[in-house]
Amino acid sequence: MKRYSKQGLWALFLICAFPLHAWTIILAFRDFSWVTERTNSWDAIGVVSYGLIFAFIESVLVFLVAVLLGFLVSRKWAEERRLALVGILVFITSLWAIASYLFFMLNISIAGETINFFASLAHPLRVLYVVSLILVGITVVLPTYLVLRSEKFLQGVRGFFERVSTLTLFYLFFDFIGLVIVIVRNV
Amino acid sequence: MKKDITRRDFLKLTGVLPLSIAAPRFLHSLDTFQQAQNKSQNVIVLVLDAFSALDISLYGYQRETTPNFARLAERAVVYHNHYAGGNFTTPGTASLLSGMLPWKHRQFVHYGEESEIFVKNNIFRAFENHYRIAYSHNPLANNLLGKLDGGGNIDNYIPSKQLFLTTDGLITDVFKKDEDIASVSWVRAIKSKEEGFAYSLFLSHLYEPYQEFKIERLKPLYPRGVPSVKSDNYFLLEQAIDWLSSTIENVPQPFMSYFHLMPPHAPYKTHLDFYDVFKNDSLKPVPKPFDLFSRGEDPDFEEIWQARRSYDEFILYADREIGRFIDKIEKSGLLENTWLVLTSDHGEMFERGIQGHFTPHLYQPVIRVPLLIFEPGRRTRTDIFTNTSAVDVLPTLLHVTGQKQADWSEGSVLPPFGPEPDPQRNLYVLQAKSNRQFAPITVATTTLVKGQYKLIYFFGYGELGGSGSERIELYDLKNDPEELNDLSSSKRETTAELLNELKQKLAQVNEPYI
Repeated sequence: MKRYSKQGLWALFLICAFPLHAWTIILAFRDFSWVTERTNSWDAIGVVSYGLIFAFIESVLVFLVAVLLGFLVSRKWAEERRLALVGILVFITSLWAIASYLFFMLNISIAGETINFFASLAHPLRVLYVVSLILVGITVVLPTYLVLRSEKFLQGVRGFFERVSTLTLFYLFFDFIGLVIVIVRNV
Repeated sequence: MKKDITRRDFLKLTGVLPLSIAAPRFLHSLDTFQQAQNKSQNVIVLVLDAFSALDISLYGYQRETTPNFARLAERAVVYHNHYAGGNFTTPGTASLLSGMLPWKHRQFVHYGEESEIFVKNNIFRAFENHYRIAYSHNPLANNLLGKLDGGGNIDNYIPSKQLFLTTDGLITDVFKKDEDIASVSWVRAIKSKEEGFAYSLFLSHLYEPYQEFKIERLKPLYPRGVPSVKSDNYFLLEQAIDWLSSTIENVPQPFMSYFHLMPPHAPYKTHLDFYDVFKNDSLKPVPKPFDLFSRGEDPDFEEIWQARRSYDEFILYADREIGRFIDKIEKSGLLENTWLVLTSDHGEMFERGIQGHFTPHLYQPVIRVPLLIFEPGRRTRTDIFTNTSAVDVLPTLLHVTGQKQADWSEGSVLPPFGPEPDPQRNLYVLQAKSNRQFAPITVATTTLVKGQYKLIYFFGYGELGGSGSERIELYDLKNDPEELNDLSSSKRETTAELLNELKQKLAQVNEPYI
């Protein structure tokens, strides 16, 4: 018996591809002006196109990892629930990765009082690790629990993923255009 | 009192007569011998990228950045007012390689198409009876060399990855025709270290530690990071120099070689031996006004000054290694039969709110570059203060090695090897990277240096108001080497005269593209 249906896998792929594409598009358009200034706007379009191709490749890799993870989830839950679980974990991990980048991108600095507070502790690094672990733990454990136990939450996640999937289809169309541009630039 | 010729004198003269008849033929054969000897001489053109003459102590910079250059200059011809053909690698290198200015060789945009005139008329083609070998760290120079190699001009074109410790060669191999943009995008996609973020959310966290692992043992020696091109094509100049010197000793002679090394181009990652050596010195920047073309609205002048210090410390590293290279080839005896040219493709600027060379500007720091020529057997130093250009290098090398002169070149044979050039000679530099490659030049900056005056002419830039707009500056380089006092409104006659000459030249070079 197949563990996942084709439709289920396709939906999972769209969920994996969404944050990667959304982030790439945001950054690539942010780079557009300096690349145009450096050379010209055709090259800036080229940078966006390559970025989308790389994002697509990364999406495939993340999807494969997600599928492998999916095999670890017990079959006692329905396919729909298992896919929602894997999807939400990929999504949360992506959000954490984006958050780590935003820290540098927006030049966020930790408030002096917070630094002083941690510095005053006997083991500041250990405490920081514990705090981080608790934060990450909550953001992983809580949605996992809710997806598996709460029907209402599951339906909410499904609704969200459906909307996201529609957007991802647009992104995949952009990938295709990007691929055409990359081919044109290389012939 | 007039003395009569004795019989003895007459006999003496008669004895010398056959010698006088034979002398011209003998002298001619000596000359032919000399020419044949010159023709068998080797040539090494060694380019250090983005090396501004204004940061070189040999040329008077207050920081002692080039002790080895100073030592080696004692047996070289040192050119004090030498100008690149453009303000970044492509036009600067192409001018050096072809003896033509950018408006003629047409290699003035990043990774542009090849032009027939460049592929058919260049230093490798001119030295066709030599063994021709080329290497470049710099991808833009590599792009030019690739075009020449494709045209059958180079016998041994060494791939850049030969001297990289790690490489993103897969990307440049797969997207060979669009190497620049593919690798720019790759850097932005996968390398988060430079800015703290990348397009990739996951792979960058795996890829970068893997690349870093490969150079881990070198990190303590390079406190600002291991020298690199495009973020993680890491290299060591020491290794490059060792490889170059051993390779060059083993290639067939006579050879014509072109080596283009990245330092002191950004990122300025010097060796531990030179790290922070200028940190507490007393040198202060000359205050210069914020410029229209400065990047960003609020450039950090302190940050730019700190970058210059890192640049100067990186020069020290390059200076040591070049010194080692010349010592090595001298020790091997190669220098006795080799012309060595040491120069750069363009400079670097740290003023007016601008750092680097991605700028429309043609101020001195970004176009005045070093030129040292080591002649076989020379033991003394000669200083040349006349204005000279990158396009003069090719005709000079052809002249001194007895090759057929390049009739396409816009340069002249440099003194002291040729006649003293006209001090009022027009010397041009062009920046036109936003212009279409094979179209009249309508968006550009050009400079005309004539005697002590320098005219800078900006035109067509959006910042100036777009098509038809222009900005004109005139400087007296003799009395104002820092280019602080624009004389275009006080010396109207000189400005008009130079501008007229420059516009005439532009009209002439635009003619084939109208």
